[in-house]
Amino acid sequence: MKGKWFVISAIVFLWVLTFSAVPGLCNPPGFDDKEIRIASWGPLTGPAAPWGAVSRGPAVLAAMVNEQGGIHGRKIKHIVRDDMYNPAQTKVVVKELVEKIGVFSFVSGPSSAGGLAVKDYLAQNKIIWVGPATSVKEYVFPPQPYLFSVYPLYEDEGSVLAKYVVEKLGIKEIGVVYQNDTYGRNGLDGVRQRLSHLNMKAVAEIPVEATEKDLSSHVLKLKNAGAKAVLMWVNPTTGVVLLKTAATIGYKPQWVSSNTLSDFALMNKISGGLWEGVITGAFMLPPDSDDPRVVKYREAAKKYAPEERFGVFFMAGMMFAEPLIEALKRVGKNLSTGAVLKALNSMKGYQGVGPKLTWSPDQHQGSDSVQIWKCGPGGKTILIQDWTVNELAHWKKK
Amino acid sequence: MDMKRDYYEDVQLFESNVVLFWSVLLLAFLFTLPLYAPPYRFYLFNLIMVHVILAVGLNVLVGYTGQISLGHAGFFAIGAYGTTLLMTKLGLPFIVALPLAGFISAAFGFILGLPSLRLEGPYLSIATLGFGLTVTHIIGHWDFFGGRLGLQVPPLDLGAGFILKTDIQKYYLILVITIFLVLSARNLMKTRVGRAFVAIRDSDIAAEVIGVNLLIYKTLSFAVSAFYAGIAGGLFGFVLGFFNPEPFNLILSIIFLVMIVVGGLGSIAGAIMGATLITVLQYSLLKNIQEVPYLGPFLVDISTRWFTVIGLENINSIVLGLIMIGIVIFEPLGMFGIWLRIKKYWRTWPF
Amino acid sequence: MFGQLIIEGLSIGACYAVFGIAVVIIYKTSEVINFAQGEMAMISTFIAYHILNVYGLPFWYAFVGALIFAILLGVFIEICFLRPAKNPSVLGLIVITLGAEMLLMGLAGWKWGAEQKDFALPFSFHKTHELFGGMVVNDWAIAVFVMAALLMIFLYIFFRYTKLGVAMRATQQNEHAARIMGIKVERVFSFAWGFSSLIGALAGMFFAARSTLDPAYMLEPFLRAFAAAVLGGLMSIPGVVIGAGILGLLENFFGFYWPAWKPIVAFLVIVLVLCIRPSGLFARHYEKKV
Repeated sequence: MKGKWFVISAIVFLWVLTFSAVPGLCNPPGFDDKEIRIASWGPLTGPAAPWGAVSRGPAVLAAMVNEQGGIHGRKIKHIVRDDMYNPAQTKVVVKELVEKIGVFSFVSGPSSAGGLAVKDYLAQNKIIWVGPATSVKEYVFPPQPYLFSVYPLYEDEGSVLAKYVVEKLGIKEIGVVYQNDTYGRNGLDGVRQRLSHLNMKAVAEIPVEATEKDLSSHVLKLKNAGAKAVLMWVNPTTGVVLLKTAATIGYKPQWVSSNTLSDFALMNKISGGLWEGVITGAFMLPPDSDDPRVVKYREAAKKYAPEERFGVFFMAGMMFAEPLIEALKRVGKNLSTGAVLKALNSMKGYQGVGPKLTWSPDQHQGSDSVQIWKCGPGGKTILIQDWTVNELAHWKKK
Repeated sequence: MDMKRDYYEDVQLFESNVVLFWSVLLLAFLFTLPLYAPPYRFYLFNLIMVHVILAVGLNVLVGYTGQISLGHAGFFAIGAYGTTLLMTKLGLPFIVALPLAGFISAAFGFILGLPSLRLEGPYLSIATLGFGLTVTHIIGHWDFFGGRLGLQVPPLDLGAGFILKTDIQKYYLILVITIFLVLSARNLMKTRVGRAFVAIRDSDIAAEVIGVNLLIYKTLSFAVSAFYAGIAGGLFGFVLGFFNPEPFNLILSIIFLVMIVVGGLGSIAGAIMGATLITVLQYSLLKNIQEVPYLGPFLVDISTRWFTVIGLENINSIVLGLIMIGIVIFEPLGMFGIWLRIKKYWRTWPF
Repeated sequence: MFGQLIIEGLSIGACYAVFGIAVVIIYKTSEVINFAQGEMAMISTFIAYHILNVYGLPFWYAFVGALIFAILLGVFIEICFLRPAKNPSVLGLIVITLGAEMLLMGLAGWKWGAEQKDFALPFSFHKTHELFGGMVVNDWAIAVFVMAALLMIFLYIFFRYTKLGVAMRATQQNEHAARIMGIKVERVFSFAWGFSSLIGALAGMFFAARSTLDPAYMLEPFLRAFAAAVLGGLMSIPGVVIGAGILGLLENFFGFYWPAWKPIVAFLVIVLVLCIRPSGLFARHYEKKV
């Protein structure tokens, strides 16, 4: 069988040959004279699909900008890709976007796992990423040169909320329900930070699975521990189940939650009206507010995305893209990644409909403050505390 | 079909010169792919090959031995986490860590194979289902495994200074491993072990009567398919660079099963075809269907009238479901069956 | 307080029981594990939601509409997906039901979008009744108990005394013999699927009232009900009810003491039962003949 050996040796030879060759092709540019391409990934299908709204939001902002002639003559094109909340898929879509179509910057993008999977790839390819739609400490500590975060840390939020509950509401018995992942644990850390500062401890700290729909034992445990206020770091469905279950056993603590449940219109509807009186943190102005900027966004969304409900997370998508648009405007006609980086790094106190953002070359966590909202009747948003900074935040004491 | 006259003919790798010719051509094509395929596609190719390894392994269990496994995502996860943790925590080199993770996975496969002696049909599938879910849950909760956030994969160091960074370099490594494993599976099926597996599938009581030791062969089958899944999982981790427990869930096990059913049970070529088709469907073909020239706007139109446009991406699931049902109803032999039909038609034309 | 845990455990257990009955009915008649059961219930509940919110009709119209839809859906799936398969193997049947599941989930996501919706039954959560010892029972739980009890009684009478029920039992025991005796086996299958889909839809609506309505909400309850069915015996209706009750109680006790490990209870139950007594607590295991 001499033929077989010939074939095998040819293969091995080819293998060694190509192993040593490392092709270094260039990616297509993310912009040209006519348009700038920005992109987001997000879960458009699958169990996490309700979060997809945050990836579709930037398209409306882009449309608004294009309506006024674009930025220095260039239109913004926003591309969305489905990643089903699966990091393997995130990588596929990001690679295709970067290497086939050519993208200048990424905005928004929920899914911490997906973001972590592509973060290094984006940095290697020098693609800017502004405003990830979730707070992950690894994004900004240590700071990455191309990654700029807008989302306040869950830890800071937890601390601020806990302070409000103890000092403004005067409640000392606090229970915490948290999702068993980084999101939940970060929130828990924030609460613990504040409580230990005040020489207190939570009466109950209960982890919960994200997909768990039967929470009677968790709620009973809270009731048994005598928690008069319960702080939640969970997802919307879990939040609804918690409140419904508590209602069935006649347990009525003061419910407080992270900003993930701040979409009051939605939460009030799906909880059958139980959401009234719930207090949450928030990272931007309410979508039903009368602030002129918000009104403008609402009108634009009605025009460009009439099928979407203008909820907190859709508007958040727009908010995450705001700093990028601002930076593009500041750079002017001579567009380049370096110029935009410089513009982003020198943003001090920029505020759109979100928190005040400050970036510098060694600090890419833009915001450190949250608002506090209360759910009014019919899902209306009541602002009960304006932007509050977490003064205990240890990442600033560097 | 083709008759074999003696054992040597049956075991031969290349049946005839024609097959040899096409195989060489295929291999040459695969090895020189970087010359004419855009680099970003290689990530997808790597994923396809990882799934091919897994599908071939699963086929040994389901197609050849006739056992059902709904928990292969568990073995996949063990492989991925095992390789990464062995490299990071114990500092083992890649060449050792990968096969070792495969063997750990095989050990779990062996354990899972034990109940298979008592259970059959639907009950076995339930047991494997429970196993898969348990593995995912434990991995998700134990901080040792990086918890819910996930693990960062170390660089692929082959030793002697060969660090594989780009997709194309990884492509070659995975290609070689895939070819090796596929050939091994094929050869395994031609030996006594393979024939024992097929005997168990056709009738395990009769097999026991003629002297096939059910305990050894059933657990061996589970172990082999778990080994393949473990290797595939380890490579998967490197292709991804970072992973968390979430993808290793029931849906993934189902997709694995779909790959071999759609491709054709009991045939290696079928497993390869099925894995390729399903991976491409899942990761690239049906996405952004709005941008396809004629079909896209048509679908968007239907969506605005009766459905929601936002949900259009769900067409992925719908098509997958239809393919699954269609294959079982119309062509139980899967894609391989369709291939056989084409060959037969071609051969017997014009009669 | 323990009493409250028990009540909660039993009420969710009753819900799992109803759903588990649906799974068992199909398994009893056609020996197929219907993985699409959850999604069939989910789509029926969505139809109810649609009728309620988009057409604006009162609740009982939506309720009946959803049930009728469920029956039709079950029959449709049996006729179009299962019957054409010629001599399918166990694996083939599983793949068909899984395919139906993906199809239905995709359709629901396409039609109604992925955002969570609200779904309320007339039995509200808020109306609670005080029992002895400080325990409370709410309307929803009472409704579930009543429904489960009624269903059990109905099924008992049905399988024992009605012609169709006896026909179903006969078909399950030996299909060929049943055919020879003149039972139209195809009709029995279709009926079983339709009936099971109906019961599943009932349970689905109760589950939705308890949490939220979105395309994936039945995945978890399906697994739990399935575990209950395995525990009680896939062929036995009283078995699945008792199994569900036990599962509900077990889960709640676990949830109270080790909340992080609560979901694993269902899987552990499955694994243990299969190792020790595969046919479940109450079913008789028929030996396979060569």
